[in-house]
Amino acid sequence: MSAPEAAPLAPTAEPTGGLSNKGLSAGTVGLLGAVVIGISCIAPAYTFTAAVGPTASVVGAQVPAIILIGFIPMLLVAFGYRELNNRMPDAGTSFTWAARAFGPWVGWMAGWGLVVATILVLSNLAGVAVDFLFLLISQITGNPDIANLATNTFINIAVCLLFMLGATYISYRDMQTTQKLQYVLVTFQVAVLLIFAVAAIVQAVSGNGFDYTPFDFNWFNPFAVPSFSAFAAGLSLSIFIFWGWDVTLTMNEETKDPERTPGRAATVTVLTIVSLYLLLAVAMIMFAGVGTGELGLGNEDIQANVFFFLSDPVLGPLAFLVSLAVLTSSASSLQSTFVGPARTLLAMGHYGALPPAYAKVSPRFFTPGYATIVSAIVASAFYAVMRVVSENTLWDTILTLGMMICFYYGITAFACVWYFRKQWFDSTRNVFFTFLFPLIGGVILLVLFVTTLIDSMDPAYGSGAEVGGVGIVFILGMAIIVIGVIVMIWQAIRRPAFFRGETLAMDAPPSRRRKG
Amino acid sequence: MSAPVIVGYTATKPGRDALAFGARLAAASAAPLHVAIILPSEGRSVITPPDASYDRHLRAQAGEWLDAAEALLPEGTPVTRQIRAAESFAEGLIDLADEIGASHIVVGAADGGARGRHRLGSTTTELLHSSDVPVVLVPRGTRKLAADAPLGRLTVAIGTRPGADALIEETVALADATGASVRLLSLLPVDLPATADTAAIRTAGSTAASDVLAAARAELPDRLGAEVVVAEGDSIEDAVRGLDWQPGEVLLVGSSRLARPRRLFLGSTAAKMLHEVPVPMIVVPRTRTQEGEQR
Repeated sequence: MSAPEAAPLAPTAEPTGGLSNKGLSAGTVGLLGAVVIGISCIAPAYTFTAAVGPTASVVGAQVPAIILIGFIPMLLVAFGYRELNNRMPDAGTSFTWAARAFGPWVGWMAGWGLVVATILVLSNLAGVAVDFLFLLISQITGNPDIANLATNTFINIAVCLLFMLGATYISYRDMQTTQKLQYVLVTFQVAVLLIFAVAAIVQAVSGNGFDYTPFDFNWFNPFAVPSFSAFAAGLSLSIFIFWGWDVTLTMNEETKDPERTPGRAATVTVLTIVSLYLLLAVAMIMFAGVGTGELGLGNEDIQANVFFFLSDPVLGPLAFLVSLAVLTSSASSLQSTFVGPARTLLAMGHYGALPPAYAKVSPRFFTPGYATIVSAIVASAFYAVMRVVSENTLWDTILTLGMMICFYYGITAFACVWYFRKQWFDSTRNVFFTFLFPLIGGVILLVLFVTTLIDSMDPAYGSGAEVGGVGIVFILGMAIIVIGVIVMIWQAIRRPAFFRGETLAMDAPPSRRRKG
Repeated sequence: MSAPVIVGYTATKPGRDALAFGARLAAASAAPLHVAIILPSEGRSVITPPDASYDRHLRAQAGEWLDAAEALLPEGTPVTRQIRAAESFAEGLIDLADEIGASHIVVGAADGGARGRHRLGSTTTELLHSSDVPVVLVPRGTRKLAADAPLGRLTVAIGTRPGADALIEETVALADATGASVRLLSLLPVDLPATADTAAIRTAGSTAASDVLAAARAELPDRLGAEVVVAEGDSIEDAVRGLDWQPGEVLLVGSSRLARPRRLFLGSTAAKMLHEVPVPMIVVPRTRTQEGEQR
């Protein structure tokens, strides 16, 4: 790229920092394809195993209620996301939109939030994959000692880095499986989760459960959650379990029938995911309870990876199916997750918010090569450090992750509201989709972010790891934001053009009413 | 010959090698030059969510790569730019060749090849196994040759068995279009088993080779004044190693007899030659499409 400081991401547009709206050829993704991509991006087997324990530990048996409620801010923000994507399609997503609405500084931090959140989830994904790899081997060979190898810090880090290396290689070369294989993997994942849930309920009812808890409709009552802090913590976790769902809603130009496919795909995906989550949550609580006993969902030792500990007692000899489902789910999710930070870093490099090397596209594989490799290195380093510092890496990472998602999704929601400020009252539709929905979604996320931040100062928060009497989750969250600010200031000194708004100008589309 | 030459371009060193030779081939045969970048089509994304805005960015980036590519060519070289999306590099190039009725597809070596050597990558192999137009493999370092260097000589590798009509046709067409001289090459004897009566096979092989060479020579018009070389060695690699090559030389080989009609398939002999040959190699399909036949 010869002059990244001056060239907008779509060079066909005027050089004032505008964005091109010119479409490509007609889309190729059908309804089924979109649903499959949506489900494999969410990776329900992985997300659920990582999130259900921490959620149960804060809200108790009200996990189903939190799952239902957690979807609301996600949906509201996704509407705003879709409006922005239609108006300013850009590979930089949150970064570009926030910069257009609020200027370069806020845009930079939104991009930072997105990149950090996805890098956190990358390290968590790889960590979960490592656990299940060893579990799968031990289940197949019948040697339980192998599963314990995953707790050896050195082996764990080494294998995790190997996973990361493999995923980076695949992402860098943009290797895709066939569509058929992907359909099979997603179907397998959903089927195994269904089998697990049904088996857990049957076992629980027939008295073989660890801590049989009879089903209670009160589990769906959000007002039964003990405190607002618990409620907020649970919500920010359940935002994580729906994270990735928004891709189905924003796939407009790519789908065969842009008017209807994205909406239908999003609906089908979310109905599938929500019913699956609810069924799993109910089944797990019935089987294991939310206590802190050996297999209870509230047990700190099993929380970060519940399937890991529950699959054997629930499914017996078929438990390896669960390991396989989680492994394939995390593996394919690793690749789709890599795309997010890599493309945002690419856009940031392109607009001059980061060194131009980040804007490099591999001439052979057409992927953001440099950005992909940097993301992988940072994620690996983060995982290695966390593994050594914290007793329960995965758990703390997930909590921090929930916080970071609230941060950048919140900024994106407010960016939508502010960007369309002149068009709010153009139509009834606009009132809802560009003003009310994203505003409410953004406010909810803001409240969640602040509440989680304050609560996480307590050293007992999360896994209980602390540095100087302050909870590790707070330290992580603050460190991420402070490092972001420092890097931003450093970049502003090195590359002032972006920060003066020369490459990506602030904008607000004018009202269309007077033209009518 | 005025059918266009397509360069399958990537913004890499092998891509620049292919561009350099494609431009020389087009100039020598007064053919139009198409420089093509094949992007992955969004339909192949089944894991990563497709993203139209990223695809747009790629197209813009491909445009910049083509700008830079054009700047490498001698001033005033007429170039047609092609950016298209396809399931694979090979598929995109073959479709494009069909569409514009191209005479050749020119591609560079895979990464990691040594200077002056060929190396087949997975995309080139796919192209070699599915193209119905001649594919030109360009070794590393070809871009260092002067851009106006003519195609000095065409060396045609003739097998020991008949069936090289298409290869001869291609040679004649190329020689007429470029004015290059022609050298007929036969490689033998090859891979003699230790137990065989070496002398007898040598003689038999020699005779067969001479017959085929003579037949091939008879097919060539006299005006081309082809010279004939028989390269001997313990192995194909050994035989090829002994040959002399001119800087502007090009090697032509026929597709394997295993190939489906009108499709390419690199035979084992040609594949072995590829390891030793320091010049661009044109692989010609077994039977050419008839003149005027709809491709």
